[in-house]
Amino acid sequence: MKGLPSLFSPGFPTYFLPRALLSHYRRHPMQLLALAAMIVIATMLWTGVNHLTSQARTSLDQSVQAVAERQQLVRDDGRGLVVDDFVTLRLAGVCVMPWLEVTPETGNRLVGIDPLAAHCFGAGTGTAQVLNQPLDGKPFVDMYAAAGVSARESRLYLLTPEATQATDLPGGYSLKTFSANPDTGELGDSFLLNLEALGVLVLLITALLLRAVYLLGLAQRRDSFALLHRFGVSPEQVQRWLVLEILVLALVCVVPGFWLGRWLAAGLGSGFGQALDGLFDIPLYAGQGQGWITPVLVMLAVVVIACLGDLVLLRFRGRLSLPVPARAGLATALLAAGLVLAWLGPSLAWVFVAVALVFAGAGWLTPAAVAHLAHWCADRSQAPLARWRYRELAVLARQLTLPLVALQFALAMVLAVQALVTTFEDTFDRWLGQRLEAAYYVEVPAEAGGRKAAEWLTSQQASIPGLQWHRVVRGQAQLANAGNLQVDVFAVSPVGSLMRAWALLEAADQPWETLASGEGVMINEQLARRQRLQVGDRLRLILGDQPQAFPVLGVYPDYGRPVGEVLLNAETLPDNFNVRFESLSVTPGEPGIAPVSDTLQQIWGVEALAMRDNGTIRELATGVFDQTFALTRAMTLLTLILAASALLMMGWVFFSTRAWYFRLLVVWGMSQREVAGQLQRLALLLTGGIAVLALPLGIWLTWVLVHRINPLAFGWSLPMAVYPAFWLELGILSLAIGLSIAALMRQQLGRPAVAPASASALTGGER
Amino acid sequence: MTESLLAVRGLSKHFVSGNETVPVIEKLSFTLGQGQSLALTGRSGSGKSTLLNLLCGLELADTGTIVMHGQVFEAGGTAARRTATAWSALRRQHIGVVFQEANLMPALSLLENVRFRAQLAGRDPANSEDWLTRLDIGELAQRYPDQVSGGQRQRAALAMVFAMGPALILADEPTGSLDRHTADEVTQVLFDLQARHGCGLILATHDAELAAGCQQHLDLGHLNAV
Repeated sequence: MKGLPSLFSPGFPTYFLPRALLSHYRRHPMQLLALAAMIVIATMLWTGVNHLTSQARTSLDQSVQAVAERQQLVRDDGRGLVVDDFVTLRLAGVCVMPWLEVTPETGNRLVGIDPLAAHCFGAGTGTAQVLNQPLDGKPFVDMYAAAGVSARESRLYLLTPEATQATDLPGGYSLKTFSANPDTGELGDSFLLNLEALGVLVLLITALLLRAVYLLGLAQRRDSFALLHRFGVSPEQVQRWLVLEILVLALVCVVPGFWLGRWLAAGLGSGFGQALDGLFDIPLYAGQGQGWITPVLVMLAVVVIACLGDLVLLRFRGRLSLPVPARAGLATALLAAGLVLAWLGPSLAWVFVAVALVFAGAGWLTPAAVAHLAHWCADRSQAPLARWRYRELAVLARQLTLPLVALQFALAMVLAVQALVTTFEDTFDRWLGQRLEAAYYVEVPAEAGGRKAAEWLTSQQASIPGLQWHRVVRGQAQLANAGNLQVDVFAVSPVGSLMRAWALLEAADQPWETLASGEGVMINEQLARRQRLQVGDRLRLILGDQPQAFPVLGVYPDYGRPVGEVLLNAETLPDNFNVRFESLSVTPGEPGIAPVSDTLQQIWGVEALAMRDNGTIRELATGVFDQTFALTRAMTLLTLILAASALLMMGWVFFSTRAWYFRLLVVWGMSQREVAGQLQRLALLLTGGIAVLALPLGIWLTWVLVHRINPLAFGWSLPMAVYPAFWLELGILSLAIGLSIAALMRQQLGRPAVAPASASALTGGER
Repeated sequence: MTESLLAVRGLSKHFVSGNETVPVIEKLSFTLGQGQSLALTGRSGSGKSTLLNLLCGLELADTGTIVMHGQVFEAGGTAARRTATAWSALRRQHIGVVFQEANLMPALSLLENVRFRAQLAGRDPANSEDWLTRLDIGELAQRYPDQVSGGQRQRAALAMVFAMGPALILADEPTGSLDRHTADEVTQVLFDLQARHGCGLILATHDAELAAGCQQHLDLGHLNAV
């Protein structure tokens, strides 16, 4: 390598060159501080998001393994399992693992397991891996510890591997599926995918801001470089020292930024962890484990590329540089291609490419569009001050391109994420409300069947005011239209008032009445999208072994479920339909749940009912999502603060170089107050204009997230909602940034400005 | 003696540097008649630019009185805001200031600059192009300051000043950054137009030849009144 020895060769360059270059920062320490702060904050933010996302992804994978559906043994007589049952089964040669769920008087639920029994699930399987993890006391504890807890409630389950058959069991026991909780993994995945996309955007925004601050510094050092060149220092030597300078600075700043990011992630991670805990009822967010080398190297690369990418591109500049109209044409083409691709892109990868194209096009076009618009307004303006103001706005838009684009991206991102999160919250809340419309959910014991209970509830309907109920039968069917694709069956009877408030994405006339009469079915969005089914299509279902054809009466949203589902009237199920699970949803009316549960216990001959209070579940789930979304909002807000600070800093520095011209207005007879007013209007025009331009980008990004990325990734979409009140908040924030720039500049106006701040300004070079 | 445009009596200005008070101008008195010209000379730091700033109200004197265009400004008065407003009005309509460089708004064309200044002064901007033509840069009207030479920029600055119809021109080394030939041309134009329009001129310069072109001469190096 020829460059390195000459870099450190004795003589002028080695001794004086670094001193001459660094003397800039001695004279402008704030600039060095700003650049360092920008690298530290950018690293912190990105590391924080990245760390949270990767950790959450690992945690989610673990949790999915932990709560994966397994097989349990139950007593045929419906009684709860006790230690004697465990002994009986082991003596009969059945491999079982005890799972003791304990709810202490205070604190979260604990799960006591016997690690020695985990071998039942075989070494190397997901279940065994999860169960063989060290028992850290939260929530998995040794069976011994769980049994010793003073419990408000406890229940023993006996889990057995899939290989165990019903014929292996002694009399009085049968097999049943076991699930720790409803699987909401898809919602978690969706949230994490969006968080990862947010991380990439954060990286892009921070790169833009870094580049902006660094280039500003370089511009101010241009005269020093010219002087060095006149002293015989070659541009290559200067460039090598600049590479060294930024590498050292990046190294010095990335490391504390990384640790601050970890600290941020730990702070936010507890809330995030709680969110995941609540989601799965298992605290699996460990908050550690990610290595430091990858994030540090990524950030170093980002800093070097963002700041010095030009040095590499310099030799191709002649070939790459385009005339202004061609540049605008290319940017428009990128934008148009991105918009079309986002609309028609067949896969997630294409949609991400489309997002990149649209952002590139918008980022390239925005400053030029603002400048063009400002010139257009100036040409049509008769008032001299207004004309001057618009011309200055055009200059600002061009000179502050990078921080303005970064602010625009940050605003668009915040807008989209806010809309996504709020829509998510509203939609989830509504969906949960529909699914948990009844006050209580009661499991029907496996051998008992729900028909007798349904008959009793029907007989009570007239005498108990406010009683609402339906029976749910779960099982599976094959969809003959789609090569016998297996779908879940959600059969309900009667199709009553608990169902009819469900929001439908598509519906035929009187869908609920037709469903109640058994003359059609409804399908969930996942099935409709994947099989391209719509209302009116005929569905050929194999229920039991009988093929039946039903028209599709409606499509309902079904967030968080990976599989297709068919909703039908339980009365249409054939007798040989394999019922996997049966339950009752009951709102007991005035007498309360006690008489209902007592009667159901008698009907089924069991000592206790497996019953859940849906209100509590709903409250818990809502709280969980509130926490999760609070985290997303915090991250986007941090990004916005970073972008705003950068623009503030850049705006201040750039306005400082224009201070002379504002002073000229005072010389020409305008009062300080009038000039400050002009300055304020200019700054507000700039930041307000960027907020306005961020709006369509943000709305488009929202649309992409809810209507393209979610359906492609998970098979379901969220409703598109916009929140003008939040737009207003963002607008006010942008104006506040403008006002802050103006306030800072006003300070400078008070001081005498004897000459323009840079040499190029003398020749009017900052036009 | 012509009617007085400007009268300065006992004007003093000090700057504070650390714990030290540095007198820049002390008890300066002079007058300038309508249409007269005055050269301010003196070494760097003798207070030429400071005096020009005091004479247009960009800085305020510590002691003394300035009577400008019939208005009296007493140093140390309590009505600071009223004084600042009165000075602003004078600068806007009656005082044209020309610096050594950067007299133009870089975002505006030469013509837009001249129109801007004329409109600020409440003059009809329709003559702006004429002024550029009179200063031999009419064909450059649509160009921006960075697209013309230093001499052409100073001509445009003069066009701006004359377009506002000033009573007094304050020129702070207006040819300091120009070559001899261009400087002579710009100076010639300045003196011609000043004489033709009968406005006062105070010219701060190091150039003895230029100073000799003025009717009066004040050497701030000696801190003496004329």
